[in-house]
Amino acid sequence: MTAETIIQSLASGLLMGLLYGLIAVGLALIFGLMDVVNFAHGEFLMIAMYVTFFLFTFFAIDPLLAAPLAAAALFVLGAVVYLVVVRFAMRAKANVGMVQIFATFGLAIVMRGLAQLFFTADYRSVPQSWLGGKTVSIAGIFLPQPQLFGALVAIAAFGGLYLFINRTDFGRALEATREDPGAVALVGIDKNRVFALGWGLGGALVGLAGAIMASFFYIYPDVGASFALIAYVTVALGGFGSVFGAFAGGIIVGLVEATTALVLPPSLKSVGIYAVYLLVVFIRPRGLFGSM
Amino acid sequence: MTITRRDVLLGATATAALMPLAARAQTSEVVIGATYPLSGSGAQVGVDAQRAFETAVDIINNDQDFDLPLAKGLGLPGLGGAKIRIVYADTQGDPQKGRAEAERLITQEKVCAILGSYQSAVAVTISQICERYQTPFLSADNSSPSLHRRGLKYYFRASPHDEMFSAGMFDFLDAMKKKGAKADTLALFHEDTIFGTDSANAQTKLAAERGYKIVSDIKYRANSPSLSAEVQQLKAANADVLMPSSYTTDGILLIKTMAELGYKPNAIVAQAAGFSEKALYDAVGDKLEGAITRGSFSLDLAAKRPMVGKINDLFKAKSGKDLNDNTSRQFMAMIVIADAINRAKSTDGEKIRDAMAATDIPGEQTIMPWKRVKFDDMGQNNDADPVLLQYVGGKFVTIFPTQAAVADAIWPMK
Repeated sequence: MTAETIIQSLASGLLMGLLYGLIAVGLALIFGLMDVVNFAHGEFLMIAMYVTFFLFTFFAIDPLLAAPLAAAALFVLGAVVYLVVVRFAMRAKANVGMVQIFATFGLAIVMRGLAQLFFTADYRSVPQSWLGGKTVSIAGIFLPQPQLFGALVAIAAFGGLYLFINRTDFGRALEATREDPGAVALVGIDKNRVFALGWGLGGALVGLAGAIMASFFYIYPDVGASFALIAYVTVALGGFGSVFGAFAGGIIVGLVEATTALVLPPSLKSVGIYAVYLLVVFIRPRGLFGSM
Repeated sequence: MTITRRDVLLGATATAALMPLAARAQTSEVVIGATYPLSGSGAQVGVDAQRAFETAVDIINNDQDFDLPLAKGLGLPGLGGAKIRIVYADTQGDPQKGRAEAERLITQEKVCAILGSYQSAVAVTISQICERYQTPFLSADNSSPSLHRRGLKYYFRASPHDEMFSAGMFDFLDAMKKKGAKADTLALFHEDTIFGTDSANAQTKLAAERGYKIVSDIKYRANSPSLSAEVQQLKAANADVLMPSSYTTDGILLIKTMAELGYKPNAIVAQAAGFSEKALYDAVGDKLEGAITRGSFSLDLAAKRPMVGKINDLFKAKSGKDLNDNTSRQFMAMIVIADAINRAKSTDGEKIRDAMAATDIPGEQTIMPWKRVKFDDMGQNNDADPVLLQYVGGKFVTIFPTQAAVADAIWPMK
């Protein structure tokens, strides 16, 4: 094992980790806001990838330019899902937690089925794009441009989200609703509106991630499943509900995955992730940056 | 006695109720099960398989002028012209779901035989259930060699398995080396279910026997979100020949990641699966000029046997795709099982099994480059010769074995 291999592994792991963070942050945001785990999160990612694919196929819009459009589309999807599904699931008289799990889980299956019905089971991909297949090479270390761009977008998105939550009225409303949904009603904040916008924001973030991924990953109705699993681990690792935790969790998962593959056979590379996850759950059940 | 309107109505209702019974008794149908991944990560293959089976059933049920068993005339003459009906079951590529679905097909849908199942890991459980219910199982497209070596009486496979395929690949490498091509070191890259594992085992054994050095043997987790660590190891090993055993998703990601990390192999000789699929070449075909894959089918055959081209047209009308390694084998599997049921003159599992064991279809009456379809006592057809195909200018050309080849291999790949 040369120094070059190790640096390359860590660099790839870091880039992938930032992307994992960007995928997971929407999940963390929604959970932090209203204690609901969105089990259709992977399907949101899948829809974002298809949106990007169709924008490219029918309108020749590069995934780079499609990113804001995909984010906008997923913002709408997120808000609609809250208003049409989750809002009602939360009204359950008993076992609210279970009802929410089954509602979003069912939604995931419906979305997958509809995707296969309308988009077929064929594997799609964006064959040519501005960044696709291009790499930056520094002293023998290769950094693929789509992932590099994705990492930059992830950092920018986290920065923007931090400012948004801490510096704007809506961000403060979000934070207040999260702390006490009953009390905010007294000061004239519409809880439903805040929740819907929170879901929209969560959707928009995964929309960004999906658009970036479409330029280097294959697209098919089940593509979200393996990424969603990593997103749940990322969120649990970083601390449920903590936006910064998702950021840090993503980077940790990416780096751990890359280092595990260096020392263990690659087929066992996710073992490292789950080992760290178990360790965190045992030692610090609320996650590294959780504040429950 | 006067016949009132009510009596007429009653009589008509009774007749209408009895009609389907009578109709069913006259034109009996033969129900065959097909277990495929119709959702999940292998869904595309399952959906294409449905079109391949439908093409075959159209040819069997209707009068068509092809030199295939049962093409001429309507339905199965051995069963009074009975038509074939297919019942599909979705395995989702999961061995446990495959087991449950196979049981449901046999006990609820009353199928008399089952075809399957793309993923070899799923074929393992389905064939066990079939054995228990004494229902023949014909592997259309499973290629793991261990499948037919489990002492099952009701298991059959008309197409080659991965040891035969791998032997073909090494015969080809031997021939290339004789011509002076550099092919001494190999890198194996295989997924972690029975397909990838068996394929790598066969290749490891053959490499040792024939004096090739395996410089890298990477087993990876199927449907990984990232393959960069794996590709780095391949790149560091830089073997003369890269030999992937991957399904479509991982194949696409492998080739994309290789390009991203600046790894250009000297040659790729793939164990089909994903590397036979149009989706993979649509996605990354520009990086695969000159890639070689084993196959059991080639459209080149249409030049020698015009029927192949015509059947391809029928399939293309349904699916929008050309027949490939998988769909051609699925098509043939339906023909082979229908031929056996016809000769058994019965839908009884044991009788069909005996008829399967007595199958003898000459190669010219298939759409494959096979010598014949004839099963040994383990249910394997040993007269199915694999071919090697090279992806050149957007399509596959047969390059090996010599008697089937239409072009010389381009080595190294571009």
